[in-house]
Amino acid sequence: MTAKPLESEAPHGRSDAELLEATAAGSEAAFAELRARYRPAISRVCRAIAGSDREDCEQEVFARIWGKAYLFDRRRGSAASWLLTVARHTAQNTHGRRRPPTPVSGEPRIDPVEPADVDTFWLVAALERLPERERSVIELAYYRDLSESAIAKRLRVPLGSVKSWKRRGLNQLAMLLDEESA
Amino acid sequence: MRHREAFRRLPDLLDDRDDTELLDHLRACAACQRQLFLLGRIDRALRDGAAVRKPPRGRRLLAATAAVTAAAAAVFLLTLFAPASSRRHPQRFALRTAAGRLVGEATIAQADAHNVSLALTAHDLPVRHGRGFVLWAGDRRSTMQVGRFLADTQGRCRVRFNLPANHDWSRLWVTRPGNTHTMVATGV
Repeated sequence: MTAKPLESEAPHGRSDAELLEATAAGSEAAFAELRARYRPAISRVCRAIAGSDREDCEQEVFARIWGKAYLFDRRRGSAASWLLTVARHTAQNTHGRRRPPTPVSGEPRIDPVEPADVDTFWLVAALERLPERERSVIELAYYRDLSESAIAKRLRVPLGSVKSWKRRGLNQLAMLLDEESA
Repeated sequence: MRHREAFRRLPDLLDDRDDTELLDHLRACAACQRQLFLLGRIDRALRDGAAVRKPPRGRRLLAATAAVTAAAAAVFLLTLFAPASSRRHPQRFALRTAAGRLVGEATIAQADAHNVSLALTAHDLPVRHGRGFVLWAGDRRSTMQVGRFLADTQGRCRVRFNLPANHDWSRLWVTRPGNTHTMVATGV
């Protein structure tokens, strides 16, 4: 049987790689969208590595992304992998800087990162692209360990809606992942 | 089972739901097999993310206790070793362009025994030629690149940096990356 994924169900919007390439070409709108999408994920990396320097780290990461987006090459890896690498190195520099400050180093090194780490990092951003109800159901199911009936009770919606939103949300995430891996 | 329906129900297989019809379709459908593989990655990433978000209860308690102890120790150490300079009032700087337009303010205040913290709030930096900037600080003896920052499209931003406390920072200025000789704004 020849069948295609149901593309019409995928969330709209440009892929991360497209946004990064448009940012490299100087598109501030693309950069703003990328920033909105990845801010929570980058904030988490900064908090984990740079601790109390998280805010400085976030600023620095986005400054680097803006300045170094032209170094991204989708043939060498996914956008999420590149962004995670930049975030990690910047966070390490921010943390390691621990005064006196040193001049900001040049280009981000592209060290390999673990695929599972990239997926987790990417997922934080991808969740932001889901409609509110799909995102809520997935977060409650995975991050709060709630059963589908418990979610239905908490959201005061029929169980069937919860099942349907969870399926749709997961399918959309999988399609986004496919798009980013292409 | 039709492909559309099977595709929609694929996430059910993550919960080990035994669905013979769905599994029959899956065996013959490459698109659904691909989707299920991707769903598996999503499921794993969500579980990993959940593990990061929710440390075990015991660990959370331990972390909270450790944080309180560390904070108490830090206050004690600061009291013991903070230099006299820590009692100085914060220094304030007004950042202006060459034309005298006020584009931001900065405050330097003691952060700990060895460092001062510099908080910069810009509200009207010129962003026509780019939103990336470099902040510099200087005293009578030396000059230091403090760090880079990014303003929004209106030239606004709030950033914080740390500087060594063993200098008497009396000048701040902002340049563009790669053009360190042209000041965008200065503050004294």
